[in-house]
Amino acid sequence: MNAALSRLDARRAEAAEQFRTLGVPHRRVEAWKYSDLRAVTDAEAISKAGSAQWTIKHGSEGVEFVDLSGGSLPDWVRTHLGTLKSDSALGAASFAFAHSGFALRVPRGKPGEVRVSFASAGQARVLIVLEECASLNYVETVPSDLEGLQNIGMEIRVGDNAHFTHARTALASAKAVQISDIAGTVARNGSYRLYSGAFGAELSRLELKLSLDGEGAEAHLAGVGVLADGTHSDVTTHIVHAAGNTQSTQLFKNVAGGKSRAIYQGKITVAKGANGSDSRQTAKALLLGPRAEADLKPELEIFADDVKCAHGAAVGDLDVDSLFYLRARGIPEAEARNLLIRAFLEEAVEEIANDDIRAALWQAVEDALPRAMESHP
Amino acid sequence: MNMLEIKDLHVAVDGKEILKGLSLTVNAGEVHAIMGPNGSGKSTLSYVLAGRAGYEITSGSVTYNGEDLNALAPEERAAKGVFLAMQYPVEIPGVTTMTFLKTALNAQRRARGESDLDALNVLKRVREKAGTLKVSEEMLKRALNVGFSGGEKKRLEILQMALFEPKLAILDETDSGLDIDALKLVAEGVNTLRSPERAMLVITHYQRLLNYIVPDRVHVLSAGRIIREGGKELAHELEAKGYEQIVKDAA
Repeated sequence: MNAALSRLDARRAEAAEQFRTLGVPHRRVEAWKYSDLRAVTDAEAISKAGSAQWTIKHGSEGVEFVDLSGGSLPDWVRTHLGTLKSDSALGAASFAFAHSGFALRVPRGKPGEVRVSFASAGQARVLIVLEECASLNYVETVPSDLEGLQNIGMEIRVGDNAHFTHARTALASAKAVQISDIAGTVARNGSYRLYSGAFGAELSRLELKLSLDGEGAEAHLAGVGVLADGTHSDVTTHIVHAAGNTQSTQLFKNVAGGKSRAIYQGKITVAKGANGSDSRQTAKALLLGPRAEADLKPELEIFADDVKCAHGAAVGDLDVDSLFYLRARGIPEAEARNLLIRAFLEEAVEEIANDDIRAALWQAVEDALPRAMESHP
Repeated sequence: MNMLEIKDLHVAVDGKEILKGLSLTVNAGEVHAIMGPNGSGKSTLSYVLAGRAGYEITSGSVTYNGEDLNALAPEERAAKGVFLAMQYPVEIPGVTTMTFLKTALNAQRRARGESDLDALNVLKRVREKAGTLKVSEEMLKRALNVGFSGGEKKRLEILQMALFEPKLAILDETDSGLDIDALKLVAEGVNTLRSPERAMLVITHYQRLLNYIVPDRVHVLSAGRIIREGGKELAHELEAKGYEQIVKDAA
């Protein structure tokens, strides 16, 4: 036990060292080109950010729950915690410095349902393990009244034939710097699904690095962003097709109003030997005003031969032909714009199979749209 | 009072004059055909009447039931009974056809001070018209015009015309891209909407459509002006002689 504990301590020390070496990312670091974290915080603030408060509901039987701030940790937590790393210094920081967080394990063949809210500034670490044939609906919220720096690091292990649905809604918090860093692995025939609603912060970054490590593993990511004046949202994903016959899709739609900035960076790596892999990526942004900005950056890295990769990105204004068509049929301009913006976003929400999750995310979109559509000179 | 009165209309697009002194009068109950070669200004006329941005009236006037049409936004024209069946109906992913029909119908009703119809009531009205136009339930559930064939798009345009019950219907090249069966179906749909209160402006390149929608008057448009007018027989003369000869004769 002491040996295991010391291995955990060693990993933590390593993460602190990694954070020290990498430093706080800034716009000259390619992956952070559009999100200058150094302009809004520094290394000391991050290392001393303290604990983020969270609340959790995990009603389902069979889901094991461990508070990481407690004294003794079970073996499975000590074995896994800190072993999945993202590419980011912030992921290292949340592991090195967070004294708060939790671990969840869904045992073999069991379904689970968990609701989490990260309600305050500070850091937290989350470890989630889905054993073989387990499934989990994980519903995560960041509330709208957040202020200060929040850095949440997540590690996700999806076992053989296990299925993880991750619904994440980060409501608009113009006074917060909100970072979520997720590292994950999906085993044979397992799946990870992300449904993200990002409504912006002073600086907001959702970074996901997911490795499809088992044959037949799948990752499906869909996200909407609705940004009002003065907010920023960066979603950066990296899917690694490490095994053959793996599939991934990424569909991200952003609507940027006022002076706001919407970013999607989507990297796909297909490793050598990962033949039969299939990945599709679509990223689109609508700019509602002359001062709104969108940056979409697809990136493909392919080392295998027999693969399918398709990607497309487009930034624009509402289609003038569509707008005229609707108005010519009697729909007033404001209502027609509204209809077209909703239609644009809906594609990324409609495929959510769970009715409650879909309805909740759509409600957040409806709530955010009026402010995003306000006109700013 | 004439329903539509166009007087010496000059219209420019991107600073280039397309309509150069067009005059036309249409009364309730009449069907007028506007025929002309490509580039004569047919589509410009239809867009000007519907109120599309970028079509600038530099001189002349368009009066609709005594009102200056140019002063109205497209949605106001629609609520007052102007309907343009478009040559290229747009595809709008994410908005189902039924949602669109309900939104448009209720927007028009609201603008006229009428109450909204509930979904069931709209559905009933749509179904009444959909059968004869062969617009299937499945089409109504799909996103507006997305993946529809050319014929399906045009049938849906006519379905809208039946649903909105306009006073002035403008059909812009409704025959383009249709095979003969689809053309007959669309023409039948239009013919059932002929009424003493309703006027129609049928814009077409070919005489073919006018075999099925028989006009009261035919106008030949060339280089932005009406160069000949006549009864339905003028369409046959055009078909026999071709535009080039008619333009020469008129010069």
